[in-house]
Amino acid sequence: MTTAHGNATAAAPAPGADTESVGIAALDAGKSRRMPGWFVILWRNGKCRVGLLMLAAFTLVAVFAPLIAPYDPRLEDFATSEAPSGAHWLGTTAQGEDVFSQLVHGARTSLLVGVVAGVLSTLIAVAVGLTAGYLQGVVDEVLSFFINLGLVVPVLPLMITLAAYAPVKGLWLIIAVITVTGWAHGARIKRAQIITLRTRDYVTAAKFAGDSTARIIAYEIVPNMMSLIVVGFMGSALGAIGAEAGLAFLGLGDPQTVSWGTMLNQASLGGAMTTGQWAWVVAPGLVLALLVTSFTLVNFGVDALSNPHLRED
Amino acid sequence: MPLLQVEDLQVTYSPRDSAAVRAVDHVSFTVGEGEFVGLLGESGCGKSTLGHAVLRLLEKPAAITGGRITFDGRDVTRLDEDELRPMRWADLSTVFQSSMNSLNPVITVREQFADAIAAHPEATGGKVDVDERAGELLEMVSLDRGVLRRYPHELSGGMKQRVALALALVLRPRFVLLDEPTTGLDVVVQRDILDRLRELQRRLGFAVLFISHDLGTVMEMADRVMVMYAGEIVESRPAADMVVRQLHPYSAGLLGSYADPRDADVEVAYTPGRPPDLSRRHDGCLFQPRCPVAVDACRTRHPSLVPVERGEARCLLLEGPAEQAAHGGRQGAEAAPGTASAPVPPPVRNVAVFSTTADSRGREGGEPVMTVEGVGKTYRTKRGLGFTSTRAVRNVSFTLRPGRVSALVGESGSGKSTIARLLTGVERPSRGSVRFKGTRVDRLRRSALRRYRRHVQLVFQDPFSALNPTRTLAYALGRPLRNHLGMDGRQARARAAELLETVGLSPAEQYLDKLPSQLSGGQRQRVVIARALAPEPEVLIADEPISMLDVSIRAEILELLDTLVRDRGIAMLYITHDLLSARLLADEVMVLNQGSMVEHGPTLEVIGDAKDPYTRRLLAAIPRPGTSRVPAMAGSPAEAATGGTGGAEQRPPGI
Repeated sequence: MTTAHGNATAAAPAPGADTESVGIAALDAGKSRRMPGWFVILWRNGKCRVGLLMLAAFTLVAVFAPLIAPYDPRLEDFATSEAPSGAHWLGTTAQGEDVFSQLVHGARTSLLVGVVAGVLSTLIAVAVGLTAGYLQGVVDEVLSFFINLGLVVPVLPLMITLAAYAPVKGLWLIIAVITVTGWAHGARIKRAQIITLRTRDYVTAAKFAGDSTARIIAYEIVPNMMSLIVVGFMGSALGAIGAEAGLAFLGLGDPQTVSWGTMLNQASLGGAMTTGQWAWVVAPGLVLALLVTSFTLVNFGVDALSNPHLRED
Repeated sequence: MPLLQVEDLQVTYSPRDSAAVRAVDHVSFTVGEGEFVGLLGESGCGKSTLGHAVLRLLEKPAAITGGRITFDGRDVTRLDEDELRPMRWADLSTVFQSSMNSLNPVITVREQFADAIAAHPEATGGKVDVDERAGELLEMVSLDRGVLRRYPHELSGGMKQRVALALALVLRPRFVLLDEPTTGLDVVVQRDILDRLRELQRRLGFAVLFISHDLGTVMEMADRVMVMYAGEIVESRPAADMVVRQLHPYSAGLLGSYADPRDADVEVAYTPGRPPDLSRRHDGCLFQPRCPVAVDACRTRHPSLVPVERGEARCLLLEGPAEQAAHGGRQGAEAAPGTASAPVPPPVRNVAVFSTTADSRGREGGEPVMTVEGVGKTYRTKRGLGFTSTRAVRNVSFTLRPGRVSALVGESGSGKSTIARLLTGVERPSRGSVRFKGTRVDRLRRSALRRYRRHVQLVFQDPFSALNPTRTLAYALGRPLRNHLGMDGRQARARAAELLETVGLSPAEQYLDKLPSQLSGGQRQRVVIARALAPEPEVLIADEPISMLDVSIRAEILELLDTLVRDRGIAMLYITHDLLSARLLADEVMVLNQGSMVEHGPTLEVIGDAKDPYTRRLLAAIPRPGTSRVPAMAGSPAEAATGGTGGAEQRPPGI
């Protein structure tokens, strides 16, 4: 009996007999590819590729703003309320600033607010959601109360109140306001996700392997909800960019920073529409819409990351 | 003309990230009007893909890349969706693998029937009394007509499955595809549904293609059985013939997984190894690397499906009469003289055998490591304003001893898993005590509990959820080593490699950095076992460790558990509802019914002389293909001889 089997395996070097080596070869091929696997999946999705390219363009503009912008955005040396011309591509403001330069510098503010507020509110959401979902019991009750509070409180009036009455002003205040008002939704989703993940056998196995609760959350659970966290971050960043623009448009932004929201605010105050300066109004609105669109497009690719079925299209 | 004719069908998966896989390769078969055909094979052999192709339900990246499927004279492969729609459910219906989830949760059972009827006015000819038709069908599957008013969540798994079956029959289809329709149900319920299905099929006369990995069940039910391996049909014969003798070595291996647990000596066989990678070209026989009777020609020549007796089989040994003389063995010896006509079939021996005659068991009177005394557990659940309490476990006592296996048998909801949770300290008993050596487990708190878990480890039921998909094997095995044994990274890695070798995954270096998704179900279960062994526990609790695995590899895992437990002197609690595996592995059996222990004693005594009605039903639920074979096997001296060598000399399965 043994000999029969022994012969069979000894005589096995026929092509295709060893399935393991094939698997290893595939793994090596994946390693030799220069791009990480997740990026390949994102890039392959047409919508996501467009979104990534747009996002990259915005990032480049933001990083190299001083080089790209022809003038200082705060320089008031030009004739006021000029229509677009060769010297001022998008015209000048009622204070005599160059609109195009403001637009370029405004990309910095929007991206900074989007990324920082997005990261901060995602961190809060992950911390609160995971703790509530994993520990359950009294901790969950208390944290869930705060999550619900965050969801129920009308966000816009709260933001306006916080921004209007805060003792300090500035961009960081805006970021803080957006973070404080924007984490609850993400926390709720993450709590729901961890409740389904915490009962997985591998979590029980980690407990039996002697791992601590913090380690189980960080090493066993979080990697399995990474796509959800990324989607949450994209959503928060999107919301933060919109909220910043909204607050600034309402005049609650930081008057010292140039942002697309403050541009719209000033265009409105400066009577851009009455003087026929369409570029002053349309340009910030358009780039804002494009930035938001790029985030949304990237999210299509992130969906494909978490759901293999979407990858085959 | 046959009702369903599949000619030369090819289905290829062409995923973007990897090479194309020929999941179904030149498959041809027919299903006649009213015929019950079984389609068998292990996971990944292409049987479900074939089923989906027949229903034209393939989704990207799979596609039909060749051949024809003709149903009732119409070429299904060429019809577009609009032409298919009236055919579906009215002519071709199905019960899916996860059909328990296929019922719409927001409408009642009656509305689901009404939907199906309303969608096919042409099939029903206008007016149909929904209540009458649906009620009649529900009665056929032994359900009360009252079920019509229920929502799916108000029904048990078995009831939902019956509803799904009745729903598949509502338009009187001529062909029903059943894709492992009872997977995930309690064995007794499974049995009941399958018996009812067979009866219905005889009465209503629809044709069935029954897909399963469980040869025993298929053989008992089907008129004809087709065995699939690596995308090809390797044997297709009347079930009655196949029970007597299997022509293809793979079929023989599959059938070896069955035995009667009441016999004095029980042995089951398995086929070590894994199916080939179908994304590559293979010149020879696809089964050759795992074949116990392979000859040199098998490596270079691909066998074709040749007519043998009343069916077909794909084996070189059946083509050329020269080779078989060299092989002699069990099936050959057993073959009834009358059937050994026509081209001489290859005598097939099973590759590896796991039998009950294991030695070096722990002593019966050894010092117990775990003592459970008069344990009870009551759950209180909030219901409306008050509480209802459920007594999950009542007054259960037993002991676990080193090197011995105690099987805990019972149906779903009998309290088996609750006992496991009590032993591991995850939950505390409402009364009674659980002792590990001198320690009261039910009184341990936090850090003491964590230390205690070094000694009591779990083997999980589902190998697909027991390993974290994002962590490598080295990490999974390294954690218990570092936490419980205080090893550093290098030591843990070296020990992890040793553990992988112990469970038969060698060379370990190839496996350490793999992710679970790169392993098969059986390999994952080996890793789960290795992880449980890592902290050198004294008690192992295995919660149905083989129920999610293919029948063909179950014996392999059982054997591994057996060896490890005996060699290392671990006390094991084996939770199961499979009496055959309990018989093979366990020294004593405890039967649990509604939380109470109803039978308890040495394995053969409990199983051989089952008194509890549930134990009897479990016994009756074990498929015994070719029951007539069993007494002959147990008695024949030739059989005992081959079985003995197999048990003693088998090698760890080559992977």
